[in-house]
Amino acid sequence: MPDWQALVRSQLDGLALEPHERAEVIEELAAHLDETFEGLRRRGFAEEDAAERCRNEAKDWRDLRRRIQTARTKENIMTSRVKQFWLPALLTLLLSMSFLMLIQVFGPNPWLLARKSGWSLVAPVAVVYIPWLMSLPLIGAMGAYLSNRAGGSQLAVFSSTVFPVLPYLVFFLVALPVIAILNDRLAHNIMFAALFVGLLAWVLAPGGALLAGGLLLQLFYARRLTSRRVVSN
Amino acid sequence: MIGAGIKRGTAELAVLSILEEGPLHGYEMARRIEEQTKGALRFTLAALYPMLYRMEQRRWIRGSWETSDNRRRRCYRLTPAGKKRLSPLRQEWSELFQALRRLKKVALA
Repeated sequence: MPDWQALVRSQLDGLALEPHERAEVIEELAAHLDETFEGLRRRGFAEEDAAERCRNEAKDWRDLRRRIQTARTKENIMTSRVKQFWLPALLTLLLSMSFLMLIQVFGPNPWLLARKSGWSLVAPVAVVYIPWLMSLPLIGAMGAYLSNRAGGSQLAVFSSTVFPVLPYLVFFLVALPVIAILNDRLAHNIMFAALFVGLLAWVLAPGGALLAGGLLLQLFYARRLTSRRVVSN
Repeated sequence: MIGAGIKRGTAELAVLSILEEGPLHGYEMARRIEEQTKGALRFTLAALYPMLYRMEQRRWIRGSWETSDNRRRRCYRLTPAGKKRLSPLRQEWSELFQALRRLKKVALA
């Protein structure tokens, strides 16, 4: 007979409940699978078929983990959303902003990306803080980890990972065009180029770096889950 | 077979009704519901336990560990709040089925 306790424990790893409560859930679910297996065997199913049917009782363990967590915790759905999205998202934002400020004050000079005309740089100029960009995968991975740990959905994990670039995205897509329309002193001929360079330096590159960290962490979780499935089979 | 949406709505009613007969553990609850509905309602582990835990949080049912036949199982019983919930729930579903029966096309189906 398969070790249902081991299977449930490995699949519900990361269930954010008190240890005794988590142990109770694991014991209860394992007992259910145990009895289902025995019931199927009594009805004449071969051991392998019965085990396969039991494994099909929960096809998406990640989703089950999230639903059990939501159901068992006394907090309402809003609180779950805070844990799964707002807390990781705001933490990644705070960390990335603080790190950027530190680098701006104490770090090396930024890399300036622009066309050169003689000795001067021609607008639009992109200011790229390389050490900051290099720190972002770590910050993105932290956001993904916190959201994942709280049982966040794929969307919540993704959103909290890339959340720090959201203010820049809003600035370049909303604030900058509005400023350009209202301020007639701006050189409108370079607006599109400035918008593109700004998006590249402050949204696409940092977003990619954050996402790389988040995806690496997700990949790590997926591999761990697959290896556990192989072991439990 | 009954569709997934209606099944979800009837699931709580099914659990409360089956627990009215007496305390049961999850596996036995699922087995009896499947048997009594002739397979129309079938609870998998993934469907049953989040719902039981949610109902427990709402204090409609109460779970406690019991040992029988050398097995430790968590048995659920209906609470007074659950009994109170059951009666309007039955009424709502009864009214829905009566309304559906009044529809000519549904009655002919």
